[in-house]
Amino acid sequence: MSEKIGKHIAIYGKGGIGKSTTTSNISAALAESGYRVIQIGCDPKSDSTTILRGGNDLPTVLDTLREQSKVRIEDISAVGFGGVLCIEAGGPVPGVGCAGRGINAAVELLQELKLFDEFKPDFVLYDVLGDVVCGGFAVPIRDGLADRAFVVTSSDFMAIFAANNLFKAVNKYAPSGGARLGGVIANSILAPYAPALIDDFAGKTGSQVIGYVPRSLVVAQSELYGQTVIEAVPQSEQAQVYRNLAKFIDENEETVIPKPLNGPELKKWAREWGDRIFEVEAGVVHEMASI
Amino acid sequence: MSHHLEGSRNSCALHGALQLFESIAGVVPVIHSTSGCGVQHYLGGTRLSGGNDPFGSPAVSSSNIGEKHVVFGGGSRLREQLKNTVKVVQGDLYAIVTGCSTEMVGDDIPAMAKEGLEQDWPVVYANTPGFRGDVHQGYHLAAKTLIEQLPELWKDAEPAPAGLINIWGIIPDQDPFWRGNLDELGRLLEAIGLVPNLLLGGDQGTAAWKRAPGAALNLVVSPWGELPARLLEECYGTPSLSLEGLPVGAAAGILLTRLTEQLGLDPLRTEEFINREQARLQRQFALLADSYYRKGFQREFALVGESSQVVGIGEFLGKSLGLLPRTLVITDNPPEHVREALVNRLTTIVPGYDTELVFSEDRAEIADAIRSGQAGVVLGSSLEQEVAVELGVPFLAVSFPLTNRIVLDRGYAGYRGAVALLEDLGSVILADSLSV
Repeated sequence: MSEKIGKHIAIYGKGGIGKSTTTSNISAALAESGYRVIQIGCDPKSDSTTILRGGNDLPTVLDTLREQSKVRIEDISAVGFGGVLCIEAGGPVPGVGCAGRGINAAVELLQELKLFDEFKPDFVLYDVLGDVVCGGFAVPIRDGLADRAFVVTSSDFMAIFAANNLFKAVNKYAPSGGARLGGVIANSILAPYAPALIDDFAGKTGSQVIGYVPRSLVVAQSELYGQTVIEAVPQSEQAQVYRNLAKFIDENEETVIPKPLNGPELKKWAREWGDRIFEVEAGVVHEMASI
Repeated sequence: MSHHLEGSRNSCALHGALQLFESIAGVVPVIHSTSGCGVQHYLGGTRLSGGNDPFGSPAVSSSNIGEKHVVFGGGSRLREQLKNTVKVVQGDLYAIVTGCSTEMVGDDIPAMAKEGLEQDWPVVYANTPGFRGDVHQGYHLAAKTLIEQLPELWKDAEPAPAGLINIWGIIPDQDPFWRGNLDELGRLLEAIGLVPNLLLGGDQGTAAWKRAPGAALNLVVSPWGELPARLLEECYGTPSLSLEGLPVGAAAGILLTRLTEQLGLDPLRTEEFINREQARLQRQFALLADSYYRKGFQREFALVGESSQVVGIGEFLGKSLGLLPRTLVITDNPPEHVREALVNRLTTIVPGYDTELVFSEDRAEIADAIRSGQAGVVLGSSLEQEVAVELGVPFLAVSFPLTNRIVLDRGYAGYRGAVALLEDLGSVILADSLSV
């Protein structure tokens, strides 16, 4: 394998948690700072880069591979906001074929096309489908493709479970040259206990939270315009949050091999937090508690 | 628990299923897998089973899926392949068999078969990825497919003739002598007034399978026949008679007596036939006697093969021919409950004599067992020839893979099989003594 060009970052997280939004805003912020960025959506839904390119259609790598024997980079990429090169791996329709193998095939094709030699990116961001359900979805963090993995999670327990699963995959592959963990991105922060819950999980698994992204109407509104927050409302506080995340990823290269919780530990941890949240929500006042 | 396996003789489930389907006249298998599965079946299976492989090359229809079918699903490729196969090859039945990739990806094979049925094509399917097991499981899966899916296809099945007996457990090519063995079993059954349903062979078409549910009895001659017999018992209440191995020589008489009792046949007719065959066999023994003593036929032997072969041949050599079963190796991984019965049966062929019984499919382990047993003659697959040469003892190839003999209709089952075995074993012992 030739020398790696650019910093390669994989961003994982449960489906619907806001990975694509977060990744696209980080890409936009990096591009705004003058970096050359490629964002590769590794999800059969193929909507990772939508808000970077105004919602325009972009043929996916796998669809193009299916239709034509010879594929060129320009057939499968589009230049989005700030010059970010947008690529969607694509995949089969739900319930058919093997999306995991699809990611593998798409990544292999990008390497064959010498995408990185041609584009010479400073950053390559892989936005990867939710749970690491099988080997195919671990491709971006295997074989030294990405250097660092970040996980996006909310304070929702299922999102935390998905993050823990990613930690297991990192833990497995990092010792043999796979990506290490860069940190946790706390997303959709709304409840007052959310930062503490995610902090606690990060602490228990030997990782760190690199930023807290509040739940905001600005994000939803920007998306409806087919834009990132950076593009649509550049002066907003939310845009600054994403810029700070991008800055952290740019300036901090510290990584760890996380220590995922095992099944019983995770259940116990969730139960304890469940009880605490219930008490907060129900307004339980303990005897002798100071008011 | 895990260990490496050298020179395995058990191919994969896909191949086992193909071996069954290809042995029924009029059945056209359609492989849904990556390219190579069909060729591998030919190179590692049919071509190594007695030199009677198909002329030219293995003409098996295959969807030969590529990466795009893995990623996007291979259902449409199978649909196309099935359609083309029906156009090009006339068949009574099209049998889809699947390989590892298509099963991993989760292609909806039943839906594809159903589409075929809707076009009035006679289609069945068997999910046979290699990871479901070895060649024996493939035989299971293919037999199960036909037992379960054919009645739906042929609702007008004709009533079976009285006294029809299905024969189960002989896996084509995995037993290189399968044709001869089936023919002889058929001859034995006919002789006592029964109607054999061999199910497999050049003259056995789909009609044989159509009749199978109406049989009076299922005759099971290896552990691998138990599942189809059980399925038929569950669906149609057909009783079965289970042997652990091929009946060779006198064991054929015991089988015929049991069948006569179980089915209420004419005992005099059976007795007459057994006496006639037994007397004929005795005459062959008498003809052999001079060479037997002059050339020192009586010696310890090592025997390697599937459980049905080891039981049949081992007992005949030990009980009727006076040889001593030094090392017996069973290579087909029979289920646990069968193993116990096999141990009890095979270690007491010659009472008071110490027989080593080994369950293994590892060439090196098998060679070590034979080496340490120091038998005076080795019967096994062609993989055992080397150790026989090393020991300097005669060798007879009797099990799969078998590369140094042409086997057309020779078999070792029954009375005629016993004589064939006397001739073949006698010949290698004689040839060895002349070369010294």
